[in-house]
Amino acid sequence: MDKILSKKAFPQWVKKLQPYRIYAPSRDNGIWIYKDIDKPEGIDLDFLTTALSAKAIIFPQREIFLEFEQTNESVPEINEVLPKDEPTIVFGVRPCDAKAVTLMDKVFGGDFEDIYYWKRRKQTVLVGLACSPPPSPNCFCLSVEGSPHSKEGLDILMTDLGDRYYTESLSKKGEEILNLGKGLFTQPKAEDKKKKEKIHADAEKQVKRHIKDLKKIPPKLQGMWDSPFWDDEAMSCLRCGICTYMCPTCHCFDINDEIYASSPPKGKRIRTWDTCQFPDFTMHSSGHNPRPDKASRLRQRIMHKFQYFVENYKNYQCTGCGRCISKCPVGIDIIEVLDKVRDYGA
Amino acid sequence: MVNVEDLRNEAKRILKEEKVKYIIGYTKSQNGMMPTPAFIKESKDVDQLIWNPTCIHNLVKFLVDEKRRKHREKKPDERPVGVVVKGCDSRAIVVLLQEKFINREDVYILGVSCENGGVIDEKKLAKKLKGKTAETITQDEKGEFVISTKEGKVKVSGEEILAERCLECRANYPVIYDTLFGNKARKKVDDPFKSLDKLESLSERERWAFWKEQLSKCIRCYACRSACPMCYCDECVVDTINFAVTADTSAEEKAGKIKWIEKSPISSENFVYHMVRAMHLAGRCIDCGECERVCPLDIPLRFLNKKLEKEAKELFGYDAGFDPDEPSLVSSFKDEDPEDFIR
Amino acid sequence: MEHNTYIPKLAKIIHIKEEVSGARPVKTFHTQFLQENGFSYRCGQCAMLSVFGKGESMISISSSPLVKDYLQFSILKMGRVTSALHEKQVGDIIGIRGPYGNSFPIEKWRGKNLVFIGGGIGLAPIWSVLKTTLDKKKEYGNLSLFYGARTSNDIVYKEELEEIKEQMTVHLSIDVEEPDWKEYVGFVPLNILDKKPSPKNAITITCGPPIMIKFVIQNLQALGFKDEQIFTTVENKMKCGIGKCGRCNIGLHYVCKDGPVYSWADLKNLPQEY
Repeated sequence: MDKILSKKAFPQWVKKLQPYRIYAPSRDNGIWIYKDIDKPEGIDLDFLTTALSAKAIIFPQREIFLEFEQTNESVPEINEVLPKDEPTIVFGVRPCDAKAVTLMDKVFGGDFEDIYYWKRRKQTVLVGLACSPPPSPNCFCLSVEGSPHSKEGLDILMTDLGDRYYTESLSKKGEEILNLGKGLFTQPKAEDKKKKEKIHADAEKQVKRHIKDLKKIPPKLQGMWDSPFWDDEAMSCLRCGICTYMCPTCHCFDINDEIYASSPPKGKRIRTWDTCQFPDFTMHSSGHNPRPDKASRLRQRIMHKFQYFVENYKNYQCTGCGRCISKCPVGIDIIEVLDKVRDYGA
Repeated sequence: MVNVEDLRNEAKRILKEEKVKYIIGYTKSQNGMMPTPAFIKESKDVDQLIWNPTCIHNLVKFLVDEKRRKHREKKPDERPVGVVVKGCDSRAIVVLLQEKFINREDVYILGVSCENGGVIDEKKLAKKLKGKTAETITQDEKGEFVISTKEGKVKVSGEEILAERCLECRANYPVIYDTLFGNKARKKVDDPFKSLDKLESLSERERWAFWKEQLSKCIRCYACRSACPMCYCDECVVDTINFAVTADTSAEEKAGKIKWIEKSPISSENFVYHMVRAMHLAGRCIDCGECERVCPLDIPLRFLNKKLEKEAKELFGYDAGFDPDEPSLVSSFKDEDPEDFIR
Repeated sequence: MEHNTYIPKLAKIIHIKEEVSGARPVKTFHTQFLQENGFSYRCGQCAMLSVFGKGESMISISSSPLVKDYLQFSILKMGRVTSALHEKQVGDIIGIRGPYGNSFPIEKWRGKNLVFIGGGIGLAPIWSVLKTTLDKKKEYGNLSLFYGARTSNDIVYKEELEEIKEQMTVHLSIDVEEPDWKEYVGFVPLNILDKKPSPKNAITITCGPPIMIKFVIQNLQALGFKDEQIFTTVENKMKCGIGKCGRCNIGLHYVCKDGPVYSWADLKNLPQEY
């Protein structure tokens, strides 16, 4: 259902959502990050793009799998630690970040469902904010089958019409929380709908960067495994990991045991984010490393996103948010690399 | 004035004469105003080299990469690598030489002088432009900047957009070089640690709260470590493995590596990581500011290292990275070193 | 209750045997679950062993699924987790989760001659399929094994090899001459060229150090074996075991989920990144 919500009434709606835990973009010096909103009056959707995407709320950087304790002489006690029952709403999710969540769903589903991911996923409501205009000079969502107003992965899509939001519920979860704000919403008029559609169309025209002929790239990549192309491209890479940590679709993780007491031995098994860009990611205990240099790791990142994932899930593992381009300390630009791949050898 | 043509001609000469394997310099990026590092292998490509106040990157890190690359090759090319360095960057080379990590013959230093102040901090610039995108930036002789954007030209003073460290810089032209481009006038700096005043004026409790909040943002991407030329250890306190293992390293040795810091990005581990890194850089950090520049969450890391730089100066009269023949701070002592902490 | 595959089940170590001593020690462990849980697996599958406080390690199950009393793991001491496992005593408890991965398609091999080729610790991952097919000898053709190690001390399953010599052809080898060694001296791939197993109606199953596998495949191809006839089991660094953490990713596959068993016909199309 479509509704209109005045900006004045927005904090009042948020107040009515109190049983939910609410996240919204919050300003921290020069950057925006998702923070827990305890004061609904303070909510403000006048932001560009968050440093870390909403992925961090559904797939947190640190997650406890289980706790173990050696109380008995020989038998350790294992306790599963599932995410708390905590219905959550995230406001201000950009369409690219929401689409990224649907890509993560594909990875964490399948034969062995990841219980921790799905517990959080099912109890999280994603409220999107259409981009008007595209928030980053490096946005390229249109090239990877996305758009500044895409509904994929969202439960509600809000569009800023100036003094009011055009609010569309896209799922049962979205409808439920819209209903909690009964009385604050009004019916949209014809001109509201027109304005919303114009804003969406204008935003599309304002997307500055594009990848030409992206469809040619997956098959081209297949033949470029041994190419010296990757050595040249990766020369300036600092293998800092920023591109993968900021990326809303990257999902690689590590599992480690952390001990915090020794008599009796007590500890936790923890999942943390990890990145294929670190040199020790693929290193075997023997010291053998299938990806010993930056070139092979850059090749892995590009091929995983634009060839392997495409063949396995029929989607590019990239939603065009532009964070990796904006944040790379040495200006390695994924669009440039893909352009070079497409034209390589021509 | 630094004449870019002179730089390009010198680069052309040493490439043509095959004196260097390749030259690490700055080149214009295809996207946006900031340059990117360039690796010029052929003399015909030297026109790609640029030099202007946006050239903020410390290229010395790539000398560390080069050493690692040579280590992996069976018959490495022993020629030096050319590198374009500013004053601060050259101090990094000096520290690497002092620690004997590289040899003087491994590097051909093309030094450029930071005339008129220094290099531009992208974040300060963005704050000043308030959403407008900078297209080009020029500087007049007085050091004022003229930034052109789609919405017109903006004039700013150096102090507003130059990197904080440039305002306190004591090495505005390289301290070591094979060829120098630009003036050799040393800037006079009254208080090289002025930027610490604000934090130092806070109480211990306030400082703890400040750092607790800042470091809670840390996602342990280790970009600060990756960008720092002085963080070159194969066996780092933070890693769970030692990169210097070979097929013959015993299992006991591998199993015995102590896990000093857990991988979890929680307050305690983040604190330990940053504190240890700062301590390991005491007397070695030359304030190139890369750690702070690369941090994706805008954590003001420079203050940590700057404070230790001040301690090194006040306690031991030591300045990192000025004299390649001077021993490093932590591997030497003088009889007059302070002893008042020994009770 | 939804099944959480990340939670290991507790198992007791009921038997430990030191297979190889010295600089590259190998120990064989027999484990028994503390509680019945219907754990069932096929030849070639692996399990994630947990030493709580140290971490996890993905190890092939080397006992045959026909053995119901225990699971067998033969482990080379290499790093943190394997060193911790080597310090365990009989009666200690570890965690096991799995089984993960695919398995050898032994139903398709009925009636065929099976040539097993192992090097060093590489005999353990193929031991399960070897013992299973040996137990059902009548369903298969001629069974033979080529196995070699660096030195005679590094040979694993020394007693078991003596036992199976009566039921199948076993060609042993060591890399360098030793005073009492009567069999072939040289690398396993060369032993194969020496004995020339026939590719007719045959399947080979090989596992060992990457360099050995490379030359074994080359020599088998030289003898006329087709890529579909050559099977191997691949090792890669693993953490989750279920194809999500990205570590063992090779091309389109995750070794923990789509492997570790591959025919060379399939494996050669994947990037050689393992």
